Amino acid sequence: MKVGFFIGCNTAFNRPDLEQAVRFSYPHLGVEIDDLEGQSCCPSWGTMPSVDLAGWSAVSARNFCLAEEKDLDIVTVCGSCYGSLAETRHSLQKDPDLREKVNGILEGLGRNYRGSANVYQSVGYLYKKIDIDKVRQSLKYSLAGLKVALQPGCHTLWPSKIYVDREEDSFHPHILKDMCQALGADVADYSRMTDCCGMGGMRSADMERSFNLLNVKLKSIKEEADPDLIVTGCSSCLIQIDTAQGQLYKDGKIKFQIPVLHYMQLLALCLGGEPEKVAGLAKTSVSGVINKIRGDSNV
Amino acid sequence: MISESENIVFNLSEGEPRFVAQIKELGGEEILECIQCGKCAAVCPMALAGFPIFNKKLIQAIFLGAREALLDDSSIWACQSCNRCTEICPRDVRPFEIILAMRRVAVREFAVPAMSVEGLKSLYDVGHAVYLKDSGQTRQKVGLPEKPPSVIAFPKALKELQAILHQSALWEIGIIPMEGNEMADTCEV
Amino acid sequence: MVSKTGVYVCHCGENIAGSVDVAKVVNYSTTLPGVSVSREYLFMCSDPGQELIRKDIEAGIVDRVVVAACTPRTHEPIFRKALEDAGLNQYLFEMANIRDQDSWAHWGDKEGATQKAQRLIASAVAKANLLQPLQQRYVEVEKSTLVVGAGVSGMFAALDLAGMGYKVWLLDRNPSVGGNMAKLDKTFPTNDCSACILTPVMVQVANHPNIELLTYSEVEAVNGSIGNFNVTVRKKQTYIDWDKCTGCGDCVTACLGKTDNEFNEGLDSRKALYIAFPQAVPKRAVLDQDSCINCAGSHIGKEHKINAKSGEPMLAPCEKVCKTGACDRTLAHDSGGESFDINVGTIIVASGYQAMPKEPFKEYSPDSPNVITCMQLERILSATGPTDGEFHRPSDGQKPKTVAFISCVGSRDKNHHVYCSKVCCMYMLKEARLIKEKYPETEVYIFFIDVRTPGKDFEEYYNYCRELGIKIVRGRVGAVDQLPGDGLRVRAYDVDMDTPVTLEADLVALATAMEPSAGLADLGRKLGITCGSEGFLKEVHTKLYPVETSVKGIYIAGCAQGPKDIPESVSQSRAASSAAAVPLTAGRVPVEPFSSSVDQEKCSGCGICVPLCPYSAISREEIDGKVRAGIEIALCAGCGVCAAACPSLAITLQGFTADQIFAQIDALTSVAGGGPID
Ligand code: SF4
Ligand code: SF4
Repeated sequence: MKVGFFIGCNTAFNRPDLEQAVRFSYPHLGVEIDDLEGQSCCPSWGTMPSVDLAGWSAVSARNFCLAEEKDLDIVTVCGSCYGSLAETRHSLQKDPDLREKVNGILEGLGRNYRGSANVYQSVGYLYKKIDIDKVRQSLKYSLAGLKVALQPGCHTLWPSKIYVDREEDSFHPHILKDMCQALGADVADYSRMTDCCGMGGMRSADMERSFNLLNVKLKSIKEEADPDLIVTGCSSCLIQIDTAQGQLYKDGKIKFQIPVLHYMQLLALCLGGEPEKVAGLAKTSVSGVINKIRGDSNV
Repeated sequence: MISESENIVFNLSEGEPRFVAQIKELGGEEILECIQCGKCAAVCPMALAGFPIFNKKLIQAIFLGAREALLDDSSIWACQSCNRCTEICPRDVRPFEIILAMRRVAVREFAVPAMSVEGLKSLYDVGHAVYLKDSGQTRQKVGLPEKPPSVIAFPKALKELQAILHQSALWEIGIIPMEGNEMADTCEV
Repeated sequence: MVSKTGVYVCHCGENIAGSVDVAKVVNYSTTLPGVSVSREYLFMCSDPGQELIRKDIEAGIVDRVVVAACTPRTHEPIFRKALEDAGLNQYLFEMANIRDQDSWAHWGDKEGATQKAQRLIASAVAKANLLQPLQQRYVEVEKSTLVVGAGVSGMFAALDLAGMGYKVWLLDRNPSVGGNMAKLDKTFPTNDCSACILTPVMVQVANHPNIELLTYSEVEAVNGSIGNFNVTVRKKQTYIDWDKCTGCGDCVTACLGKTDNEFNEGLDSRKALYIAFPQAVPKRAVLDQDSCINCAGSHIGKEHKINAKSGEPMLAPCEKVCKTGACDRTLAHDSGGESFDINVGTIIVASGYQAMPKEPFKEYSPDSPNVITCMQLERILSATGPTDGEFHRPSDGQKPKTVAFISCVGSRDKNHHVYCSKVCCMYMLKEARLIKEKYPETEVYIFFIDVRTPGKDFEEYYNYCRELGIKIVRGRVGAVDQLPGDGLRVRAYDVDMDTPVTLEADLVALATAMEPSAGLADLGRKLGITCGSEGFLKEVHTKLYPVETSVKGIYIAGCAQGPKDIPESVSQSRAASSAAAVPLTAGRVPVEPFSSSVDQEKCSGCGICVPLCPYSAISREEIDGKVRAGIEIALCAGCGVCAAACPSLAITLQGFTADQIFAQIDALTSVAGGGPID
């Protein structure tokens, strides 16, 4: 099995440890990675999507072409990339005029968008394509005794009808939960699981409001779940929750800091990945959690 | 309708009559399906974080043609693109697409926050909307090559991307400097 | 004979004239072969309009009439009458629908619409020129009516007709009459107890000498037409001999099989052997085979096992306790029940509605037991419900302190039903009021999109609810989150405060949409009546013929036609009963002379037409030693299937002869292929 890895700006430049986590864990589970050389920005919401539909779709379609030309599907760890790519794919699929326009633009580059490649989010791809038992059997370490709270991320959920690996009930998602349980984690529910983390346009527009929004969520996590770790399905959520906690703590708005990792990082750790490589860039310390995972008693 | 506004009273007869049509052309096709039920606003992160304009209100303001007031307010750029509104709208309005359409109007009026202009510039110049200068070191720290296998590492690919952008509305609007585009040099952003 | 066809073009106010150049169309009409005169008028159907036609006929200028106007569905009878009045055979008439099929459809394209009007008229004239006088037939009417559905609407329709002296069959697929209303606690706007006003009616229908109850029955097939419908009814298998059963309920108590109780909307369970509800009429037990666990190895239709020790047959508990012998599992009950035919003159469909379940609304956490539908809440509030009328929430039986209602769940919603269910605003207010009056300390919130209370005494009801302290929030709820424990967080946006709001509630009631009852489309198909896009049965005309359907002799009442409250349902059912009584009282009804006939010379006797006829009107008979098809005119409904299928072109459908139809097609296509008409 082979898949094109769409890295995304935030992962490539901000959290390359997450990129390493994917590069480590996918092959371990028998999924070969293709680099989709020459991939660009998805492009993200505040840029081309906010300028024009055809231009947005053309940039996105070019990224799809890279996969199509090799007969591959695409996976990404970033919710924004996932959403932006899936939304344009949906538009291109249902709007022949748009498709013609986009192919008109791509023609000059010697490319043609066919619509054969799909885009998956990294966790959903494993859930759909890999036997969950295989994941279980490949583990070197387990998360037994670790309580986690989940942050699937808006883009893995909505708008559900455009995704190929959608949840049955997007308001009560279970893919990330099942996948965490496969690693042996104890998943604690909390009422604001599907609330937005505050990353994205809002963080750029008004950091304080963005962090306050996250704070409401963090309180719900702390009070209702009190987990050892927050697990995200999206790189943007990862960055937001990881970096904002320090600030909120400094401002006296929270009295705790909860380690946070993307699911792929946690998976890589459980498969025996080197912590410095696959989870070495966290701002909110994850060493306690990592020690617990890799502790002898846990092997 | 906008709290910071000096004009407390919005004069309905000053509404821009063609506004709805423009929004529809720019991707907000379903705007007139909205019945102002407020379901989208109930869960919109923008509303929850206290931004003055968000999906439901934006739609009503467009409906009434409050174009100037909307251009004066930058809330729409705080939209998270979370699409929760699109998921739950009982009328299939796809409110997020209306936000995008309003942003497209704003872009054409150069009413764009600096961050977005930066993002567009970066997309054009390096092929990534988000790019951190010292990322090479970070990547090496975790054992990765300095550059990811993206446009960053493949100049030909970047040219391809730029060629696409040259054919997009970005070129006509001229909101960022682009190779060979005179307009961009003359406008202030 | 050369025809003298008159063409009368109607403006329909602006409806037609707004998009069709009427003067041009009139001019064009005069150029058509066979046309002697062409005129226009603002409203052709009005008296002065009809007068134009009558005068031309009386003056001998015209002997065929084409009216280019609206739809023949409503207006053909009016114009035919005008022809008759002027002494012309009413079937020398043809209508061109240049409104519904032209001006409305092509509004804004005047040139195109004008051309299309010309084509439609050319085609109508081509047919009219070939029309022959036909004679109306009459059929005798069977003086009885079938009422499908024994809810409040069906029962009132049945009582009215029975009171007029007609025989009524009152059919319901449930074991008891009563319908949805039997589930309600109180009814707005007067808050009388539903059972107190409904149960006497249930008893009345059961005791009326002219009404025969067919409960636990379904309509299997419908043949025939107005005056003589032949309906095949299937009485479902009850496995209990209802002639012997007294409804004592001993078997129900003894039964060990269990399943969800549909009368209590799944909030508790009932036995496999059950009586629908305590006030059921008829009060008879029914065995639901799907949940029967065949106690003591006793299977339906099999001899009892013999107890090895005692040598006695082993009876199931239900059989043991039944004192009347109504419960005998060894009998060879046919699981399909029993089918029989009844003949009726008219049919009223009052098959009601169903309330949507909560499951599709994932954003409201339907998995929580404390998120319920308003119909479920109705059962909780009802003295005959699962909590005996005590206000308890499902998860733990605690009395809710805070209750939230959510409106328009599944209504006004493109993903479910685009229509407004009409009664939800009022039933939410009613349930809120019942709670608040009985437990004033309970906080009650109703989240509305718009409060719609247009009805006699409804606005007063709404105001009273506000006075009671029920909190009205305008804004559709966006999410219901499950909190630790059994609590719920309701998240909405208050339009008036212009702020997101949140509420912790113990119980959330969803005002789910009224939707067509299961199988309504199928029933419609059997009856030959269509459903509208929203799935309810369609009336002929919303305003003028609200209880008539496209099939003569079949009428609709209550929620089968669309969401309605009780006062409106009852009014409509009484309107339907009066409409259904008209043919019964007249004793005979005219039928269109559009029947088929066989040309014995051309018929080869192949018999292709015989099985095709939906009305079984054709049989093969021997004529002069040759096998030929013969059509029983009284049974023929004039559908034309046989005429279209006959390979020898031996069958002619009067009023739609091959000549006439080909002339229409020619007129349409000769100009169509050649581009615009001028
Ligand atoms: S966009 Fe949809 S959810 Fe929002 S107010 Fe309009 S109809 Fe309601
Ligand atoms: S997509 Fe934008 S407008 Fe819609 S709910 Fe999310 S933040 Fe609000």
